[in-house]
Amino acid sequence: MAELDVSAGKLKEVTAQVVGQLKQVIVGQDEAMEQVLTGFFAGGHCMITGVPGVAKTLLISSLAKIMDLTFKRIQFTPDLMPSDITGTEILEEDISTGRRELRFVQGPVFANIVMADEINRTPPKTQAALLESMQEKQVTLGGRTYPLEEPFFVLATQIPFEQEGTYPLPEAQQDRFMLSILMDYLSEDDEVTVIKKSTSWGQVELKRLLSKQDLLAYQELVLTVEVPPELVEYAVSLVSSSRPTDATAPDFVKEYIAWGAGLRASQYIALGAKSRAALSGRMTVVPEDIQAVLAPVLRHRIGLSFRADVDKVTVEDIITRLVENMPVPARVG
Amino acid sequence: MIQPSESLEQAIDEKRAAEMVQQLREGRDRILSQVRRVIIGQDEVVEQVLISFFAGGHCLITGVPGLAKTLLIKTMGDTLDLTFRRIQFTPDLMPSDITGTEILEEDRSTAKRELKFLRGPVFANIILADEINRTPPKTQSALLESMQEHQVTVGGTTYKLDEPFFVLATQNPIEHEGTYPLPTIQQDRFMFSVIIDYLPKADEIEVVNSTTSKRPEKLDCVMHGKDLLLYQRIVREIPVADPVARYAVRLASVSRPTHPGAPDFVKEYVSWGASLRASHYLVLAGKARAVLDGRFGVSVGDIQAMAMPVLRHRIITNFRAEAARVKSEQIVQRLLETVPKPSSGL
Repeated sequence: MAELDVSAGKLKEVTAQVVGQLKQVIVGQDEAMEQVLTGFFAGGHCMITGVPGVAKTLLISSLAKIMDLTFKRIQFTPDLMPSDITGTEILEEDISTGRRELRFVQGPVFANIVMADEINRTPPKTQAALLESMQEKQVTLGGRTYPLEEPFFVLATQIPFEQEGTYPLPEAQQDRFMLSILMDYLSEDDEVTVIKKSTSWGQVELKRLLSKQDLLAYQELVLTVEVPPELVEYAVSLVSSSRPTDATAPDFVKEYIAWGAGLRASQYIALGAKSRAALSGRMTVVPEDIQAVLAPVLRHRIGLSFRADVDKVTVEDIITRLVENMPVPARVG
Repeated sequence: MIQPSESLEQAIDEKRAAEMVQQLREGRDRILSQVRRVIIGQDEVVEQVLISFFAGGHCLITGVPGLAKTLLIKTMGDTLDLTFRRIQFTPDLMPSDITGTEILEEDRSTAKRELKFLRGPVFANIILADEINRTPPKTQSALLESMQEHQVTVGGTTYKLDEPFFVLATQNPIEHEGTYPLPTIQQDRFMFSVIIDYLPKADEIEVVNSTTSKRPEKLDCVMHGKDLLLYQRIVREIPVADPVARYAVRLASVSRPTHPGAPDFVKEYVSWGASLRASHYLVLAGKARAVLDGRFGVSVGDIQAMAMPVLRHRIITNFRAEAARVKSEQIVQRLLETVPKPSSGL
């Protein structure tokens, strides 16, 4: 591969190619695709919520192929144990000396991209094992620490809460995911395209477009994208206006929100906006970047009140109103 | 780096102790400036956690998720060269997930089988027990027991925990189903109740600016963990004047509705007053605060500054208080206003 040119302009080109490759295997879902890439280049973990069969796994595994990353899918079940994720120590015998020793066998979490499928079907202790490695980028077992390889992304999927036998992720655990991405049913036209494709002969070969080093270099680039001060304030104001205890909170927030978004939301909005800016070839964040990442950052961080349930107000409604309610800072420059 | 040459067992005369206290004052400033490189705002929380480190007490931390509690505590531990472990408490966590378990191991040469103890995550200097109220009582008490005794007993064998040993347990104030609130008596084991709240807007903006533009910094260590033990001893050797100690005792005792000297608002709103541990911790925390301030004696101001974190989780309000929206914080505030200060004006 040629000498790497790490610039926002180059990243924009690469992104267009990546999206082009993905489109060969996935139909529709443009928004989800953009958000997953935003999360990737920001180095944040994502949670994907959607009905079964919307090509969640295909999207993630295709990305792994395009970026030359190792990929593991873990199906979470009610009887999965923490060691099924992190790995275990096994007793091994050295034949020459007859000595037995404990040796660590890596679990499936040792991969660049881990897809945690249906994470809310597993009991809390096992969930916590994954979330801990996610946060600390390491696994601790029997007093020893094993670092995970960078880059490390977790993409977790959840089945809808209403189903029986689910263990909803506690708020504090959900907060560790940078983005919550929705994948919905396709439009009729798109669905027709999918059916035609999936029932025909022949498979698409995905091209490898990026190396690990490229990805890590672009992640560094994202950190250097500039956020004008008035836009940082815009992001923080949006987040703090979601807190019912905040003095500036509008009335609908006080009425419908039980708890608002914390500090991590502000951090992730800024980071997500930077990533989105870089992916579009800009080194400066614009208000649209912040608005675009707002919903995926906030939707799993806001708890609705009982009143909202009664009035059938959803988190999406609240987020839309938060944006309408907050004046956009005058054009920067 | 503060590196006193004395060992923990060695006798230290008052003059040398006073000198060490002076050194620590500078040390504190260095610790704070290190912590400030990573943590923005939350001055009160940082001060209280630091005092608890030097007093050797545990903290109960209450705050909503996403306020960087883990980062704050880990950062403070790093400056003091302390090992850190976070344990996420869940409904299905078992006592052995905290303390450790015994496994069977065979020595091939002798064919003897032996039980080997695998140390659990509690074997670290600082334990962040995250969302402790999410786990059933038996598992909670496994932690509280090791907290109290600084040791773990499994299968008849006792294992000493590493010293210094601190537990910082967090409770999520968001009310939801399936939590097991810590009983009042268990809360009493914590020296401080620390409240962590949203940052003011200006601070939040600063956090966003600094955390999204660079990788986290590596901090310098200011003091070794073993020297912290020495300072914990110095803290305990600080003298406390009789009137000051009496003031601390009075603050705690008049919070009990059955006490003859209890003011009317206590009789009306409090169902349980502060325990004996309250006055003990008021004085101990006061001593640590004095030492960190470079002073070789506890003042009334030290006791007053420590009253809120020491008393607020020990005063349990009654139904009438709930109806009138009176919180234990307000009771503590009013106690501070009504209990007469010693006249010596220390």
